[in-house]
Parts: sequence; C-alpha cells; structure tokens
Amino acid sequence: MNLGVLGTYLPTLARYVAVMVGIAVIMLIAYRVQRFLGVKQEAATGRTLIMPWLIGFLIFNVFTIGSSLYLSFTEYNLFRAPEWVGFDNFSEIFDLQIAPLESAAQRSSDALPPRYDEVQRVTLGDGGFVIGARMEEFWRSLRLTLLYAVLTVPLGIVASLGVALLLNQKVRLLGFWRVLYYMPAILPSIATILLWRWIFSGSGLLNGLFAPFYRAAGIAAPSWLTNPDLVLIVFVVFSLWGVFGANSVILLAGLKGIPQELYEAADIDGADEWAKFRNVTLPMLSPSLFYNLVTSTIAALQVFEAAAFIDIPDSVGTFLNWLIYQEAFNFRNMGMASAMAWIMLLLILALTALVFRSSSAWVFYQGAKDAN
Amino acid sequence: MKRVLFLFLVAILLTVTISAGAQEPVTITISTWAGVDEAAELQVLIDEINAEVTGYQIVHQPIPGDYFPTVQTQLAGGTGADLYWLDQNQMAIKSEGVLMPLTECLADSEPETAGDVNDYYPGILAVNEYEGDVYGLPWIAQPVVLYYNRAIFDAADVAYPEAGWTWDDFMAMGMELTQDTDADGEIDQWGFTNNGWPPPFIFVWQAGGEAISADFTTSPIDSPEFVEGFEFYLSTAYNPELSPSREVISEQGFGEMFKAGSIAMFMGGAADDLDRVDGMDVGVIHVPANPTTGDITTFAWNASTVVNGNTANPEEACDALVQITEAIQGWKIVSPRISQATVEHLVESEPRKEPNAEAIIAAAGDMRALPIFGNYSRWDATFWSEFWGPLLNNETDLSVAELAAEVRVDLEETLSD
Amino acid sequence: MTTATARQRDSLIEQPQPSQRRFQIRRIIIYALLLLGAAIVLIPFLWMISTSLKTEDQLFTRQIQLIPNPAVPMNYVRVWEQLQSINPNMTFWRILGNTLFITLLAMFGEILSASIVAYGFSRFNFRGRNLLFALMLATVMIPGIVTRVPGFLVWRQLGLLDTYDPLTWPSLFAWGPLYVFLLRQFFLSIPREIEEAAIMDGANVIQIYVYIMIPLIKPILLAIGVLAFQANWNNFQGPLLYLSTPEKFPLAVALRFFDQSLSKEAPQWHYMMAMATMMALPILIIYFLAQKQFLEGINVGAVKG
Repeated sequence: MNLGVLGTYLPTLARYVAVMVGIAVIMLIAYRVQRFLGVKQEAATGRTLIMPWLIGFLIFNVFTIGSSLYLSFTEYNLFRAPEWVGFDNFSEIFDLQIAPLESAAQRSSDALPPRYDEVQRVTLGDGGFVIGARMEEFWRSLRLTLLYAVLTVPLGIVASLGVALLLNQKVRLLGFWRVLYYMPAILPSIATILLWRWIFSGSGLLNGLFAPFYRAAGIAAPSWLTNPDLVLIVFVVFSLWGVFGANSVILLAGLKGIPQELYEAADIDGADEWAKFRNVTLPMLSPSLFYNLVTSTIAALQVFEAAAFIDIPDSVGTFLNWLIYQEAFNFRNMGMASAMAWIMLLLILALTALVFRSSSAWVFYQGAKDAN
Repeated sequence: MKRVLFLFLVAILLTVTISAGAQEPVTITISTWAGVDEAAELQVLIDEINAEVTGYQIVHQPIPGDYFPTVQTQLAGGTGADLYWLDQNQMAIKSEGVLMPLTECLADSEPETAGDVNDYYPGILAVNEYEGDVYGLPWIAQPVVLYYNRAIFDAADVAYPEAGWTWDDFMAMGMELTQDTDADGEIDQWGFTNNGWPPPFIFVWQAGGEAISADFTTSPIDSPEFVEGFEFYLSTAYNPELSPSREVISEQGFGEMFKAGSIAMFMGGAADDLDRVDGMDVGVIHVPANPTTGDITTFAWNASTVVNGNTANPEEACDALVQITEAIQGWKIVSPRISQATVEHLVESEPRKEPNAEAIIAAAGDMRALPIFGNYSRWDATFWSEFWGPLLNNETDLSVAELAAEVRVDLEETLSD
Repeated sequence: MTTATARQRDSLIEQPQPSQRRFQIRRIIIYALLLLGAAIVLIPFLWMISTSLKTEDQLFTRQIQLIPNPAVPMNYVRVWEQLQSINPNMTFWRILGNTLFITLLAMFGEILSASIVAYGFSRFNFRGRNLLFALMLATVMIPGIVTRVPGFLVWRQLGLLDTYDPLTWPSLFAWGPLYVFLLRQFFLSIPREIEEAAIMDGANVIQIYVYIMIPLIKPILLAIGVLAFQANWNNFQGPLLYLSTPEKFPLAVALRFFDQSLSKEAPQWHYMMAMATMMALPILIIYFLAQKQFLEGINVGAVKG
C-alpha cells in the first residue's frame, strides 16, 4: 500500500473536513446566540450566512494586514525575533537624492553621492539632473510597474472595445468568435509567459519572421529580452494577448445590453455613426468600461508570474510584486519587504480612489442609484 | 449527514495515526544543488553508504532550481531535509541558530577521518565556525590556479611561467601574448581574461591587505596594501593591452574563449575541466606572486554539508554527515583535509587531473577562504555594488584609494550590525 | 413621362447598389479584421503546440516550421523522464495528482462558501449589510503580497508549511470576493415569491438553499466553477511559497523547477512547451465543454456591475 504518497494528502483532507465542520458549528452557535439575544430571524440568518467570509476576513485580511504594518517597522530575518526600528525602513526607501549633471557626458554615479544609485537620468541640453536612491531597485521597479500599467490598461481597453464593436456587427458564428477570442485568458499565465519568452528569444519566432526586414534595414536582430529599452514591449504584448479577447467578450455583453431604441432615436435626429458611438454607445457602455478599468489596473500592478519567468535587466528593475517577494523570501528582509508591500497597498488604494473619483465625470448609470 | 461526516473524519484520523505509528528505518534526507549528472554520481556514493550502515538510510533530494531561497524557507519553517550543501557565502547562515552545532557529536571521531575537525585546513574550517562551535563539514576547497595554453606560448616564443613567477612576469608575458594573429588590424588573442572572476582578494591578500580584519571589527580597504592589490587586479580586467573587453567576452563566452584557444592564461578553480580540452596542451601553475612580498596566497572556493537544526534524528543525521562527507571528499577535488593533501589522493579522486596534480596540491597549501561572518552577505553586497562593481565596470572617476575611503564606512556599518 | 419612368426605374435599380456595395465592403473588412484577430490569438498558441512536437535540432533552424517534421509526440513522455532523472518521485501522475488535489479542494471550498455568503448578502436584511458587502468588495484591492509575509509566519506557527493546507482549506472562508459578487448578482435576479411560497410550506433556510436556490443558480455555479478551477490550477505564487519539497509541487511550480534546473543553461523549449501544453489542455477542455454557460455567467456580473 502506497501510503507514502497518500500521507501527504490525507492529513490535509482531514483538516479540510475539520475546518468545514468547525465553520458549521460556529455558524450554528452564532445563530443561537443571536436568537437568544432577541435578534429577528431574518437578520440573524443573514449574519450567520456571511460568517464564513467574516471570519476569513478577520484572519486573512485584518490580522495579516495589521501584522504586516507592524513588521514594516521592524527588522526581521525570519530566524531572530523582530527588532523594532521605527521608520527606518521607510526612510531608507524614501532616501532620494537629486544631483545636477555638469555635462551630458558626466556619469550618474559620479554626480550622485556614494551609496546612491541612478533611478532616472534626465538630460537637458548639455546638463540636466539625475535622481538617485539608496533603494534604487524599489524605485526602478515602481517605475517599471507603473509604466507597464499605464501602457497595458488603456491599450487593452481600446483593443478590446474595438474587437467588441466588431463582434457587435451582426457577424455570423458569433459563438465561435467569442469562444476563440476568450481562449488566451483561459490559458495558464505560466504557459503563456513561457511561450512569449520563447517567441521573443534571440532565435525565436518573432526574429525569424522579421529576419527579412532586419536584413533590408541592415540592422542586427534585436535581443528583446536583454535589451533594457525593449524588454517592456515583451510584457506589454504578453499582457495584451492575454486580456484583449476576454475583455472584449465582456464588453460585447455590455453592447448587446444597450436598448435598440436609443440608436433609433439617434437615427431620427440624423446622427452619423461617430455621433451614435460618442453619444449612445460610450455612455451606455461606461459602467462596463469602468469595471474593466478598475479590475485591469489592480491586476496590472500585481504582475508576478511574468517576472518569475523572465530575467529583467537590473537597470530596468523588476515588477514590484516579485521584488517584494524576493526581498522577503530570498534576502529574508521581512521588515523591508513589509514596508514595500505597504507602500504598494497605499498606491493601489490611491489609484483606485482616483479612478472612482473620476468616474462621476464619465461613468453614466442608467436610472442611477436604484440598485442597492 | 453530520454523523457521516464525523465517521469519515474519525476514519481518516485513524488511518493517519496508524500509518504514522508504523516502525520504519529512519530516513536521513540530504538536499543539494546537484544537477542531473552530479546527482547520478552522488547517488552511487549514497548507495554504497546505505549498503553498509544500519539504523538509517540516506535519501537524496536535489533542488537544482531556486536552491538557496528554498533552503532558507525550509530552515525557517522547520521543514525540509536533514542535511544540506551550502557554499561559503551561504554558510553565513551559521549565525542564525538554525543549523545543528556539531562539536559535541563529532567529539568521538577517529583522527584523520571526515569527522576529525583538526584534520581540516584551519582557514577552511573557520568558514564553518561560529562562536566556538562547528556548523558544517567542508567537502571541497578548490584553490584558484593558473591554466596556460602551451601552444600560444610556443607560437609566440615566450617561456612558460615557472614556479616563483611574479605579477611583473605575468603582466609582461600577458602583454606579449596579446596579439593580432591574423593581421586584420584587430586583436584576436589575449594574454589573460578577467570579467570579475578571478576574485580580487587573491591580489589583495598577496599584497598584505585585508578586506575584513581578523576580529571582524574593521574593513581596512583603504590601506596602502589593499589598494595596491586592488589596483593591480583592475589593471588585468578589460585592459586592451592584456585582456578582452566586456563586449567580446559576452559575445564569445568567458571560459569558452580559453577553450577556443584565444586566451593564453586563465585563472580557474583547480577542479575546472579547462585542462581537458581535446587537442589542447594546457599547463597548470600557482598564481603569480606579489613581487615585493613574494606571497602566493590564492583564493579557495569551498562548500560544506550542514545539519538542519530541526532534524528529528540528530544522532543518525550526524553519523550520515560524517559518512557522506568522507565519501564526497574521495570524489570531489580538492579535499579540504590536510591528511588528504597528497597527489595520490587527488589522482584517486579524479584521475584526469594526474598531469597537474602536483601543482594543484602545492596551490592548496597556499589557499585562503573568505572571512565569512553572520552578516557577510550584506558586506559582500555593499562591497560589490559600491566598490568592486563601479571600479571594475569603470563607472566612477574616483581612484581606488578615494573610493575605498568612502566605502569603508559603509562596510564597517555592516560589521557592527 | 418616359424620361420620368426611366429615371424612376434607374433610381430603383441604381440606388440600392452603392449602399449594397458599401455594405459588402464593410462586411469584408469586418471579417478580415476578425480573421486577423483570430490569427493573433491562434498563431502563438499553435506555435506552442508545434514546438512541443519538435526535436531539439528543429528548434533553432532558420526556416520557420509550423508543422514539425518529424513530429515527436514522445516529448510529452520524455519531459517527465527528465524531471525524474533529478527526482524519481516527480512522476507525471504524482504532479497531476498534486495539482488536482489542490485545485478540487480549493474549488469546492470556494463554490460552497461563496454561494452561502452571497445568499446571506442578497436575501436577508440586517444592519451593516451594505457596509460589510462594500468592505468585502474592497478587499479586491489588497495586493496578495501584503498578506504573504504574515501569512507565511502564521502557517509556520501552525507547523503547516510544506503541506497543502495553506492552499486548500482557507477557501472555505469565501476567499474570492469576485465570486461572491457574481453570485449575489444572480441571487438578486431571482424573484422573491419563489422562496416565500416555500416558507409558507414550512421550509427552513437550509432546505430553501439546497432544494430551491442551488438548482436555480446552477448556470452561474458552473461559470464560477470554471473560473475557480482555472485560477487554482494555475496558482503559482501560493505553491511557490508554501511548498518546498519538489515531489509535492503542482504543475505550475514543476514547470518553473524544470525551467530553473534542467533548462537553465540551454533552454529546452520543446520540453517546456510540451509541459505548458499539458498544463493548458485540461483547462481548455473544460472551457470548451462549458463555454456557453461560462461566457454567459461571467457576463452577468460584468453587465450589471
């Protein structure tokens, strides 16, 4: 009997069942207590039913985020007890220096004081300045992550809106196109990032296809993955390929939901295609676009797999999520990693708040606020 | 419904308990970074041990990808193997209290066996020592030696390097051998190559400099001796009169260039296969000496096997450690044990090294390991990113002495932590 | 008269023609664009399958070869032989078993808990409901990495690192807010009268949920099932952190293991693509089988959101 293999599954299965039973018991007790305290049946039932989430929320969100905040003020290497260091981690991250460049040829490392490394260099005529940081990896990675989001989110929305409009043109075999276009989003992202790494590699498909152009232009085949100026393109292509189809299927549903009468009314007013698109389609679709914008922004800021499978040149940085993971579990700087993670959390909150604030100006809710 | 669930749960728990209670011979696991071929060779050694010992069986669990991050999470989580391979830099973890101290369990070892700590080169053993205890048994200490391609020397009519040669001899030979052999206006043969390897410590130590003081309190990299050694080191890297540029190296491959016959002299580990290229006549000699001190200290790359502090079977693990270390020391070269510092032992471990065995054993007598302390990885990162890297890659206009004075402060900060 | 009729007839014949032609050109452009999109979707995908069937020599030929000749389906077997040469326990069945074990337990937990929680949020009035629901949606914004470090420490404290626990039973706490959101949308679209009739007949909440609600929400449960299956099957970050014994790895981490060990110096793309294809295949099959309900299901949330 091969209990050796089952031995790794069975204990987990047992605890799985135990937790399930435990949750049921807690729910039962919570219900009884509420009823005993005179809570009405409906309210007591509702509260009881959401207990699984509430317990999980308290443990997996409130507690861990709180601990993360505490850890961000400590130095902790997993082996020795955490040591309180106040704002040291944050002040090290935010330790930035701006130094003027005496000439365009001056090296960044000579312009900057020791210990500071270049994050961004700006040349203006025969001079300029350079921004350096002690935690230059963090700032470089922040720059890469934001650039990636700024490029992929709008491009992704425009591309998927275009495809959705195409599919909305009474095409035949709509079901077929939908299934096909959604497919890349279903594929494992690990499989697709490896696929794109292969396609973009020095002797990959892309350079093979473009070889005649390179020859005609008299340039060498670019090394997409190791050239600091080109590597972002790889990630943008990977991201767009993965999402444009899926998002267009979702937007298509939104398009289908626009009442036909609105277009007929526009026809009577003599509106042309563009006017109809601007005045009917876009406003009616804005809630779907908004949903899309929020979810894809949040997703773009949390790229992980792509960085795990493609080595990005140091000068470009890496994706924040991967950087923090390395800081924590490779270099064992749990405190610094927590501080970085908190900065990332605040950044995402701020960006989402910004999107929400802007939404009142452009998102149109039909019969707004009748839903709860 | 609930009763069924309950019965199911009990049944599972019973199965688990019963299976856990069954008596089996103790398994001692060892994790290494070995790839396919290395793992196959190690497996042969493990099978031999398993056939002899009673009470435990060794099982190899290679982790060839993400090795050290995985080891760290295992050590932190109290999971993972009983034994691990760690190289010198990774040995810095000895100060974290996650490895098993070995002094006690090695106390009764026979002299001149793998368990006899007095049989190791003291400098190599020091990498494994922390606050009076030993945390790992070294299984390799590979001195850096100089490989030279006799054909290139013959063609240029330059005499081969000889014992007692110095930096000046090395430089003169190297420059003479740096040539444009096909007269197309571009250099295509170089006397030496340096891309950050070999380590600068060879020259620094020879000149009498120290990167970290013996008591781990100072980092005197601005001493005249250190600066002298480091400046010479820099003059061997990307020097158009001596060595290929970074671009050429990244295009043609560092070690590959030597094997392809376009590099005359190469500093490599004694176990490297550079002297085993078909149709190439390669000699091995100790690294050149500092001309004033005459010192021929060289760098020793070393690695050890350690015991997980959380092991469930400390006694068996310790015994397995000694057994497997003994076996590996008869397989890998160069053995870090003084009693095994003989040409015979070396040739027995690796017959293909026979022609150069004497030179390697001689170099082993002059080798020195990095001064590994608990915070070494941070010291190392600072040293590279603020000092060594910028100077090597010509990213600063400051002189070695000027930069050293600035960076010393940062380095000493890592010592005081 | 004649000219008038002629003109009239002319206009009758002529008039539709330009618009019809324009209509046809428009159709052609639309289909051309759709085909272009299909090519963009399919070519990389086919390239993955094509590579997975090539020999090592065929990988780096200058001529682009979409259909490998000869094709080597044995790559799908050899890639596992390669892995086993490093760790004999990393068999195909073991890794597949690990992946399925994690995926099915997590998927079941998510569906079960999310549907119960969504039922509570949509059907019962209680004070603080909207606030809690908003709070739940807001957790979407929390980057997983913030909870990684403390999460790791908690599992270490529990002694459950290098087990499947961190990847499976937390799903019973409705860890997917989006699923709860989708389900709630669906519940809201079910008329209340159905339950009221059942309550009149004396059914309790559990009975209503099991016998009335579950059958009604089947389509969305299927859609969520596909989503959850896909998400857990592909999960990489969790197993990478919590599992450290190679034979316990699911496919995603085994693929990285292969990439980092056997393929580090000279990438063996034929093997990697074979493994990637194997990883994609089950998901694709499920997707094609359930595509109708799935695509409709996910649209419910998007449109109403």
